[in-house]
Amino acid sequence: MGDATMTATVTAIWGRFAVDAPLVLWLLPLALLPFRASAQRVVPVAAIDAGPADPLSRAIGWALRIAGCLAIAGLILGIAGPYRRGETVTRTGIGAQVSILVDRSGSMNETFAGRQPSGAEESKAAASRRLLGDFVGSRAHDQFAVTAFSTAPMLVVPMTDRHEAVRAAIRAIDRPGLDYTNVARGLAMSLSQFGPQAANVSRALLIVSDGAAVIDPRVQGTLRAEFARIRPNLYWLFLRTKGSPSIADKPAGEDTPQAAPERHLDLFFKSLGTPYRAFEAEGPEAVAAAIRQIEALERDPIPYTERRPRLDLSWMAFGLGLLGLLVLVAGKLAEADVRRGQRALTPRAKAAVPERIAA
Amino acid sequence: MREPDPVQADIVYRPRGRVPGTSVGAHRGRDAGGLGTFRDQVPFLRMPDARRIDVRATLRDPFEGTHVRRFESRTAIEVWALVDLSASMRYRGEADRMALAAALCGGLAASATRIGDGFGLMGCDATLREDVSMSATRRRGIGASVQARLLAARCTGARADGMREAGRRLVGRPKIVFVVSDFRWPEALVAEVFASLARHDLVPVVLADASEDEGLPVWGLMELDDLEGAGRRTVFMRPSLRRRWLAHERARADTLRRIAMTYGRPPFRLEGRFEADALTRHLIGT
Repeated sequence: MGDATMTATVTAIWGRFAVDAPLVLWLLPLALLPFRASAQRVVPVAAIDAGPADPLSRAIGWALRIAGCLAIAGLILGIAGPYRRGETVTRTGIGAQVSILVDRSGSMNETFAGRQPSGAEESKAAASRRLLGDFVGSRAHDQFAVTAFSTAPMLVVPMTDRHEAVRAAIRAIDRPGLDYTNVARGLAMSLSQFGPQAANVSRALLIVSDGAAVIDPRVQGTLRAEFARIRPNLYWLFLRTKGSPSIADKPAGEDTPQAAPERHLDLFFKSLGTPYRAFEAEGPEAVAAAIRQIEALERDPIPYTERRPRLDLSWMAFGLGLLGLLVLVAGKLAEADVRRGQRALTPRAKAAVPERIAA
Repeated sequence: MREPDPVQADIVYRPRGRVPGTSVGAHRGRDAGGLGTFRDQVPFLRMPDARRIDVRATLRDPFEGTHVRRFESRTAIEVWALVDLSASMRYRGEADRMALAAALCGGLAASATRIGDGFGLMGCDATLREDVSMSATRRRGIGASVQARLLAARCTGARADGMREAGRRLVGRPKIVFVVSDFRWPEALVAEVFASLARHDLVPVVLADASEDEGLPVWGLMELDDLEGAGRRTVFMRPSLRRRWLAHERARADTLRRIAMTYGRPPFRLEGRFEADALTRHLIGT
């Protein structure tokens, strides 16, 4: 079994590498040439064991041979053009899948005081934009989806780990808002962003709104089922305008969803059976505090995929070749000038040729 | 590759002891005869040669014995050159090793035949090389052909075991045997070959080259390739290794000298260039 595992591992590692020109690899046996021939000038001697044994010389000899192999193999590999295949790697990091549901109703353009922003004042949308922008990207492996809703839900960005896109989507949420607040359909869409991921992923649904609306009892059942299936941690960031009723406030008159939609949405969320927290924020500082809290809560391991592009490895092969060549050049430079007497001999050998012809 | 040098002096050699044999030559013979230089006087009955009666000695003898003069006969001897033809003889350092051997043998052949001695040649690699060998001849002027024969010989063998066979072939009367080789043999082979030639006057001639010892570089990488096909070896020459190398070579030379001295003569080191006078001095002096 160990063998099978090892084979599988080897195949897996091998499978990640490829070359541009596989035919060139047929030249690889040439790398064994240094064991037959040497780049050094060969000095013929009468007896190889004339001198005493010398371990240092032996080591240098092997180093030169291996350098020769390395040089040839490196060059051939480099010419073949090795690369690591592009691939998607699944890794585990700390983070969560966060689906952000942003209220785009007209009232979001007002300040927390319920007025049109003027001067240094900041609208609710702008404040949430600023603070959410910091939230996105503070952790590398978070995944975000952004959905906006008013009368109808709008899918802004599907679940992704491209934080730049998510930040761009969040930058867009302070565009002038539209009509009313239809929270039910927005919830349904932002829940659908989670997708069929592994069950152990930490999921969070962050609702940013400044008001609530009645959820049709007929839709309530569908939503309950969805929540039960996905089981996200639910955070409601309620941007409360000064003077408007709080989540917990009971209306003075009849306690119906129509009279106090915030309270009843809260009750609905509580009844879902998923972990739920509501943050009531009456100013930008409160929003920031709430977001920090959410950030601290959502700390679970999350598998994330990373796309690794194709990586050219030929520089490595050429580098090995260069290393081998440098060693060989060093060996060549260190070569001894044996046989100074050879020169004296050569003219005589030349002179012998005409004599032989004459004979 | 050179023609025999016309001004090259003859190699003068003197066999050790008195040479047996009947053929007339240039060396002191063991036999006493009627011609030659005076040797001694013996009683008539020991050599009944009436022509050589020494009248004065006969008259001087108070016991009235008759004395006869004996003269030393001059006898010829055969000179043989046993040449190693293993691949290591192709070595070219400051000189071409085979050219040196050929010059030596050519000079020997010329010198020997000029004074009436026979000259024979045997080439040996793993076996005895019949194409190079020639039996002893007293024909004059064979120096050039001996030299050419050796220069044309191919040296490819990796061993010199044919030398044993050569020792078995050289039977009969003692001869002067020059063993020409670089002696890069196993010590056992050297001892065995010398032992098989013990009854002859043995002259080992070591072909050496300065590039193999003193001429080695002090620093540098060398890739040595064995001519006998024993492989390659990288050597990083440096002063300490050079010292050890030279000591190693010296030890080898000493071993050869020790073995050779038990058979009478130290080896003659032929290096760089063949000079007949140097060989003569060596042969007369030892």
